[in-house]
Amino acid sequence: MTGATRFMLGLLAALAGAATQAAELQPFVAGSMQQIRSAHADQPFVLALWSITCPHCQEELAQLGKLQQQHPELNVVLVSTDTPDDAEALTAILARHGLARAETWVYADAFVERLRFEIDPRWGGELPRTYFFDRVHAVTARSGALAPAELERWAVTPVAPTATP
Amino acid sequence: MVLMLAAAVLAPASAESEHSGHDTSRDPKSAWEKSLARPALAVGVAADASGRLWRARVETGQVLVSRSDDAGKTFTASVAVNREAERIAADGENRPKLAFGQNGELYVSWTQSLDQPFSGHVRFARSLDNGRSFSAPLTVNDNAEIISHRFDSLLVDGRGRVWLTWLDKRDASAAKQSGQAYTGAALYYAVSDDRGASFAPNRRLAAHSCECCRIALARDTDGVPVAFWRHVFGQNIRDHALARLDDAAALRRVSHEQWSVDACPHHGPALAIGADGVQHLAWFSGAEKQRGLFYAQSRDRGQTFSAPLAFGNPDAQAGHPQVLALGTHVSLVWKEFDGKQTVIRAQQSRDAGLTFANPVTLAASASASDHPLLVSDGKHIYLSWNSVAEGHRLVALPEDSP
Repeated sequence: MTGATRFMLGLLAALAGAATQAAELQPFVAGSMQQIRSAHADQPFVLALWSITCPHCQEELAQLGKLQQQHPELNVVLVSTDTPDDAEALTAILARHGLARAETWVYADAFVERLRFEIDPRWGGELPRTYFFDRVHAVTARSGALAPAELERWAVTPVAPTATP
Repeated sequence: MVLMLAAAVLAPASAESEHSGHDTSRDPKSAWEKSLARPALAVGVAADASGRLWRARVETGQVLVSRSDDAGKTFTASVAVNREAERIAADGENRPKLAFGQNGELYVSWTQSLDQPFSGHVRFARSLDNGRSFSAPLTVNDNAEIISHRFDSLLVDGRGRVWLTWLDKRDASAAKQSGQAYTGAALYYAVSDDRGASFAPNRRLAAHSCECCRIALARDTDGVPVAFWRHVFGQNIRDHALARLDDAAALRRVSHEQWSVDACPHHGPALAIGADGVQHLAWFSGAEKQRGLFYAQSRDRGQTFSAPLAFGNPDAQAGHPQVLALGTHVSLVWKEFDGKQTVIRAQQSRDAGLTFANPVTLAASASASDHPLLVSDGKHIYLSWNSVAEGHRLVALPEDSP
């Protein structure tokens, strides 16, 4: 095998790896929230709700992308409130923010009130919406794009950040 | 509420234009086809001078208008307003609007979605032959950038002039081009004094509105339109403001929940003005300490407001309020989710909003649904509500207090 061929094969393998690393959107339906909680039992994780229709969500995704780069061990679960039809746009945005490897979901049921209820009955639907689950899944909810400092604080000590008045 | 917002003041405008030309626009044809295929849930309903209910819905890129002669039980065959299909925003905070002139004119407005994220044009058409045919649609915003001119509201004033208001990002776009930050969007309007044949140049009512919450419009007893919307106060407090459209300087702050958030609430307010001049206002706040729905009223044309009255169950997603006044009969309706189905709840007042009876459930659906809408034919108040499983329905509100 020539060096050039080896190089090409290596490149192909790398490309294949990159392809499988593209965000795979899972359909978020009734029961998915419980599934996410179970899959992360005894682990802290960040659940971030976002949409392509929400300008402020882009700021939030950018911050989460940086956070995940700095803390690859962090569990970031992203749920888009768009539709599976938007998959192409969603994965492109996630890739641009360095979130291609994050666990990603998209609403796959038009009956969004039920999905929202399973996530948090008190959530009014505003976006972005972020939930910090600590190890025992005590939850802190935040609305709006979060300051890098607050995300960083969570990443360093994954317990619910203390609310300041 | 608690956020440390210091680093999060990035103007949404920059987020928008930063992404222009990417993603959702990469394959506009397929996005367009997909959006046409999606069922549009949002339906507009309005009553004409003789109390007949008219309906506007959106199907495959057209606004379809029909009329009911039996209080909403049946509707005539619909007439397409725009001949050429276009992408029409008709869900959540967006619905097609209907209004009537003083000589039988029928006016229609809607927001056309463009191929860039967050962009749109305000569109308008009229019928001078009782809804049998419509003029070719006009684009009312006179700024042609592919940016946000969306969330239209339509009203005919006491002199028969046609008013359109909407949320506009031209100032944000200009600020961005000169390297400045701009908070939120702006509330713009245009008025027609020739029965909707043309509109005067656009004017700004208020700078720094929230970006994606519908605007409530109502006619004051002297015929002047009054707007009520989610504003951005200071750096980032998304509470509510009221202003008459003849006096841009007199913006009044109505709500003080201090909801400081870099978010898109997608949750606009409601306004009704009774024949007695009492202004009835309802809104949603997500402020951590005052989360939920609120009602207040003004008995001095928006100079002062009553203490906000919380209504609805914040633990059941209470949201998307509507208010309507018919004499001293005031109805509040809103959406809740009871764990299994979405319900439309109502509270009614017989004393012009001083006291309200206990809430009742008007309608329910275990499927996706539109936000509720209230409409009156001058005799009764109706809930207009569309849901996937049940279709569009008009429900007369109970006449007697429960």
